[in-house]
Amino acid sequence: MAPFHIRPARPEDCADLLRLIKELAKYEDMEDQVVLTEKGYSIVGFAMYYFTYDPWIGKLLYLEDFFVMNEFRGFGIGSEILKKLSQVAVKCRCSSMHFLVAEWNEPSIRFYKRRGASDLSSEEGWRLFKIDKEYLMKMATE
Amino acid sequence: MAPFHIRPARPEDCADLLRLIKELAKYEDMEDQVVLTEKDLLEDGFGEHPFYHCLVAEVPKEHWTPEGYSIVGFAMYYFTYDPWIGKLLYLEDFFVMNEFRGFGIGSEILKKLSQVAVKCRCSSMHFLVAEWNEPSIRFYKRRGASDLSSEEGWRLFKIDKEYLMKMATEDRNYSSQP
Repeated sequence: MAPFHIRPARPEDCADLLRLIKELAKYEDMEDQVVLTEKGYSIVGFAMYYFTYDPWIGKLLYLEDFFVMNEFRGFGIGSEILKKLSQVAVKCRCSSMHFLVAEWNEPSIRFYKRRGASDLSSEEGWRLFKIDKEYLMKMATE
Repeated sequence: MAPFHIRPARPEDCADLLRLIKELAKYEDMEDQVVLTEKDLLEDGFGEHPFYHCLVAEVPKEHWTPEGYSIVGFAMYYFTYDPWIGKLLYLEDFFVMNEFRGFGIGSEILKKLSQVAVKCRCSSMHFLVAEWNEPSIRFYKRRGASDLSSEEGWRLFKIDKEYLMKMATEDRNYSSQP
């Protein structure tokens, strides 16, 4: 396969980002839940991340979304993206990288465990909760 | 009980923040795992790029603790991003000192957090709760919280620094195929 390279996203990439976000949502069978607006593909994969904070150990890198188009898998693109993410984490002095994986997503779980990942939900019993906007507005005003 | 008030944390609150972080860690039996220092908290929260925000609960002098503490509760939060719906408020830590519970401090902190979320146009507030922590689970469910781990099967994973450094520097092939 032809060479690929990994680079930071630019403002003009937003159309491709949305396209890939939707494609990942489709893989999770949730395409119609994407309500974010915006606008011969050369962009075939992406990772979305940001920095979070653990009050015991400090800065963390949080991997929010990570996707490579089906036809471009098996060529090391995912590994290279992870390598770049790891470099960002080390450079920014993050203690760890955190991310969610759905319990049914066995290929992903194996992919991450091969690279040293541990399941904090199993090990420490953490459950993710949400309070949606309607309840936030209730609390904000009552 | 006498009035208390909730306000954003200031740089000079870092000693109290660390104290309360350690107290919460003690409650979870993990006090020695707190390696963060006051200096870290100061740089990370009040520098050019804040990695977190805090609200603190303060009581007037007549209600200070025997040791002379006026700050009796805190919430640490930051903003995260959901690629389907956009900005979220993420509640990282939330604690009120034992002797100051039952007076509405926790509810008032949550109310202020909700106002921040609404003002910043966040679609939702996310946070973790340990599965054994039934009082907290009830506290949040009373306020409309749902358990996404149960409903959607999400599990939290981590890759620690030693493995990140491995990946950052090596050319190892992780393929599962021979």
